[in-house]
Amino acid sequence: MCGDGERQRQQRGYATPAEPTGDIQAASPIRFTNDAEQFSRPRARFIDDNNDSTTTSLRRQNGHGTPRRENNDDPTTLLRQVRIVPASPSYFTATPQYTDDLLKLSHLLRKHQLLPVLSPGSAPRVAWKTIDQYKTELAEPIRSKGYNTLLQLLKRLNYIHPSLMPTEVAEALEGFKRDIQPYLNTPKPIQISPYGISRAVGRRKSSSAVVQLVEGTGEVLINSLPLPSYFPRLHDRESAIWALKSTQRLDKYNVFALASGGGTTGQAEAITLACAKALLAHEPDLKPALRRAGCVTRDPRRVERKKPGKLKARKMPAWVKR
Amino acid sequence: MIIRSLILRHGRLALPRYTPGRTLRRCYASQIEETYTNPDQDQQYVAGAEDATKSQVMTAISTQNSIASDDQVARDWEFFHHQKAVTGKIGSEVETHYRPHELLSNPPSPRDITLELLMASQSHIGHSTSLWHPANAKYIFGVRGEQDPIHIISLDVTAAHLRRACKVVSGVTERGGLVLFVGSREGQARAVVNAASMAQGCHLFTKWIPGTITNGQQILGKCKKKVVNHRDEEVKGFEDQLIQKAAVKPDLVVCLNPLENYVLLHECALNNIPTIGIVDTDVNPTWVTYPIPANDDSLRCVQVIAGVLGRAGQEGQALRREGALVGDYPPRQDHGLEPPNEVEKDGSKQDEAERGRTLLTAGDA
Repeated sequence: MCGDGERQRQQRGYATPAEPTGDIQAASPIRFTNDAEQFSRPRARFIDDNNDSTTTSLRRQNGHGTPRRENNDDPTTLLRQVRIVPASPSYFTATPQYTDDLLKLSHLLRKHQLLPVLSPGSAPRVAWKTIDQYKTELAEPIRSKGYNTLLQLLKRLNYIHPSLMPTEVAEALEGFKRDIQPYLNTPKPIQISPYGISRAVGRRKSSSAVVQLVEGTGEVLINSLPLPSYFPRLHDRESAIWALKSTQRLDKYNVFALASGGGTTGQAEAITLACAKALLAHEPDLKPALRRAGCVTRDPRRVERKKPGKLKARKMPAWVKR
Repeated sequence: MIIRSLILRHGRLALPRYTPGRTLRRCYASQIEETYTNPDQDQQYVAGAEDATKSQVMTAISTQNSIASDDQVARDWEFFHHQKAVTGKIGSEVETHYRPHELLSNPPSPRDITLELLMASQSHIGHSTSLWHPANAKYIFGVRGEQDPIHIISLDVTAAHLRRACKVVSGVTERGGLVLFVGSREGQARAVVNAASMAQGCHLFTKWIPGTITNGQQILGKCKKKVVNHRDEEVKGFEDQLIQKAAVKPDLVVCLNPLENYVLLHECALNNIPTIGIVDTDVNPTWVTYPIPANDDSLRCVQVIAGVLGRAGQEGQALRREGALVGDYPPRQDHGLEPPNEVEKDGSKQDEAERGRTLLTAGDA
């Protein structure tokens, strides 16, 4: 910027679009001296390799460009042509890859937001990457709030009806799923053999039981013994065949159970679970009824170990003041 | 006539008439017991039938009313669109009208700046007179309102400043400069991203990390850079040199909410980076190099300004690319790069070890 132009601008009332004053000069290093005119001299200069400032002014002023016929393989030509730019437009966010992912998913959602959606709760269960896995992959400092926004977008995109799911959305979602999907592990369905027998396993405490269920008249054999002789206690007898009793099918099925390990209660409850699973093979629609009866969930409780400093697992010795 | 309005007009008759007597009768407990039906009563007791269980019969009935199958959904969707395409134009002709999303999908260009557009986007509305910054008195037209007076910004001044800012943006992009669009308020993200993509610059719609320019090596050290030629094609062979290079600084910063980004503007001033900003009546106009007096609280106004500046950047880029095709390019950036080493293509073990060492030392820096 030359001094004359500056003086002209100072005369105006308020800022107006300035006349083009020619090329901006690049700055030279400031060396502070006692010279009174050190700041009024032009500091900025363009590094112009053509050594001719008039012909390289705005192409519009010339009216036509001045093509340079130079050897493109020449490294000096290459250096004149290149410039360093950020690899992504999200460079200044300091988390460019995360920002690009967020923008891509937002764009996909906006594009496909009118597609039909599955009813709440019926979307395919997906194990998405944890924030730690994502952060390690990207090597960027991402906050959990930011990642949760990303997860919300993924979950919403996952709800698009599978028959109309666009390929680009499916591909984008794959990149955010964990390598191992635990929800793809579905238990093998219990089959009914050609003889009409279903076989299931149940466990409780340290006991396990195998039950074979077949449509019949209501006979029960446990370890080749009838029910009353194997379980002298009424409570155990009732809980062993609770699955059939709660659904009022005692006279409809025959039970053959093999129980091992643990004690009476453990074996009885193990037979409950096994019997329920085998019954579900015959009649799958009984599941809500059996769940209400408490036969479907495997009770995970085990005997807690004794710890040092305590008398049993939790019981502490008597407190002594001194 | 649109079906919606039919219901509004006749809907009240369609609803059951309110009879106070009915509600009183409902209060008797015996009545409630008689009318109450347990929705789960089928499932609590399931009687065994001869051939099939009752539940099996129930499921057979329920599947008829269940959710449509996958094929049905896809076919319904196609049919819906077919219907829409065939019958959509039937009826009254709708005149062209204002649609808010067009500000983002098809923003106006600098030659579309009119006082009518600025007024329609509420860009003349300033803040309360008690909250003003006296330095921008020359941008204010006057005061509106008796009880809670607000300042009204002069739209001709706004238009002039906006046109100047457009020239700055197109000038910078024409010379291959990097423009950074910043807008951290809610709802400004889309406008910022759109403007940056048009001007082939960078965007920022979250909080500015203090020190991104002054402490760039620390904050942006891990972010990737690339080397492009005058035709915007990436040039390989400079990766090792880029690791040692400082972080990229923008050549121009456009800030849509300067009040929240004073740190950014201060950093730009320290590094001689010109800034453009929307200055409202309560903003200090000296914070930016090229102020645009306008309303920063109205999303419509912000979208108009961002759109217009993005279009200006687009025009500058087009001119630059036009020149690049004939081999005419602006004077070079002071990048300090050396010609790429061609020996690297062999990839010998020694070179790789050296490269690894340089990478480690760069990480420590």
